[in-house]
Amino acid sequence: MTEDNFEEFLKKTAQGYNVPPARTPREEMWSTIQSKRAAGPQVVYGGGSQLREPAPRRFGSKVWLAAAAAALLLVATGVGIGRWTAGPSAITSVAVNATTEKPVVVVGSDQAGGSTTHQPANESGSGSEATVSPTPKVGSRNPEGRSASSAQSRLSGNEATRVATTAIPNAADRNSAYQITTTQHLSEAEALLTSFRSRPTADRQMDAQLGAWARQLLSNTRLLLDSPVANDPQRRPLLEDLELVLVQIVQLSPGSTPQDREMIEKSLQQDHVMTRLRTAIPAGPQRGS
Amino acid sequence: MEMAAYESRSSVNDIQLVTRVVAGDAAAERELYETYVDRIYRLTFRLAGDDELARDFTQATFIRAFEKIGSFRGESSLSTWLHSIGLSVALNGLRKTKRIRNREGPMEEGLTVGVTPIQAEPDLKERLARAIDSLSDKYRAVFVMHDVEGYTHEEIAGALNIPIGTSKSHLFQARGKLRIALADFAPEWVS
Repeated sequence: MTEDNFEEFLKKTAQGYNVPPARTPREEMWSTIQSKRAAGPQVVYGGGSQLREPAPRRFGSKVWLAAAAAALLLVATGVGIGRWTAGPSAITSVAVNATTEKPVVVVGSDQAGGSTTHQPANESGSGSEATVSPTPKVGSRNPEGRSASSAQSRLSGNEATRVATTAIPNAADRNSAYQITTTQHLSEAEALLTSFRSRPTADRQMDAQLGAWARQLLSNTRLLLDSPVANDPQRRPLLEDLELVLVQIVQLSPGSTPQDREMIEKSLQQDHVMTRLRTAIPAGPQRGS
Repeated sequence: MEMAAYESRSSVNDIQLVTRVVAGDAAAERELYETYVDRIYRLTFRLAGDDELARDFTQATFIRAFEKIGSFRGESSLSTWLHSIGLSVALNGLRKTKRIRNREGPMEEGLTVGVTPIQAEPDLKERLARAIDSLSDKYRAVFVMHDVEGYTHEEIAGALNIPIGTSKSHLFQARGKLRIALADFAPEWVS
């Protein structure tokens, strides 16, 4: 009984709760509805606060954000795995110097565990003098952790040449790297041959130094002969002739006779090795660097 | 009696009206609006307690209804469908705008325009209003619709998309809370 009384009392009393006006502002609201429909779907409540059905849009943006993050993560993982797996097996490639953005060929020594880094271009434009600079490797993935901290002389003895390297983004960059490496090598070979022809006739110490330098260049020459560079119909004969001359110089003992040296000189002249070398080396600042 | 007018609309009439609206008949749009605008406005005003908000909610309800009218399949009555939109708009709007009604001004005016003359004490009315305001949205909506505006539990359940039993339960809970809040006035209803 008391419960029924309360319900009746509540209904009567609650009639005074938020009592609406006696007249509904039909025309005013209809005009507003028409104008808002013409303007677009945006709805404004309470004189300025906007209700734009934000929930679906917020959800949608989160979905896109998550999808973008997932895609980014996937790409990053793929690149990371690719670099990791490709790193140790790389035989020849080119490192990019972070400061100069020039490709840098890193020549390592198997014996000493060190390496020297050859700048590919001589900015002075002098094609007759190859440079050997101790530029550290940047971003090298050499698993043995070789560093380029020690600058070995170009006459560093029995070094097997190893071309180490880092990231090569694509085929065009790889091809460019080979061109730079080849030009660098030919420049160095020209410097060696020029030194050989202008040396004193009976200088044992100089002969030993030239022999070591020639051995290093011989290794590089053979590597290049096995590389795509040898596919060039003009480069391959040049490299083969250069290999022959370098073999002769390497085999030239300190006690060699003038006839031995004359034979090398004849090889150089017959095959026009020096002329072809200078023709193959572009003048001026190194292209492709 | 007003309720009976709405109840008398058959689903056939609803479908016909909706079909005309979907076809772009401006007169049908206006007819739909004229048929339901009073109830929607009254309900949103009861919930908002503010004419500006009530107008905004009512307008938003019809704008959204006209946008989505193509999705109306006649599974519920057009009235229920519209009230569902109206309640969603009003409750979400109140939640978002966080505007609290000012209880001071319109109360006396409300007594003069209300359908039933109320002879309750001003303190009681104020206490009841605050108690209703303090109810959660679901309890307040059910209480206002049932005990204030006279909707049936079927209509409430359809508009709020809840089972009828849940509507009854919410009403019971709301009344219980209000009874506790008005305990000081127990002699009023006991007598």
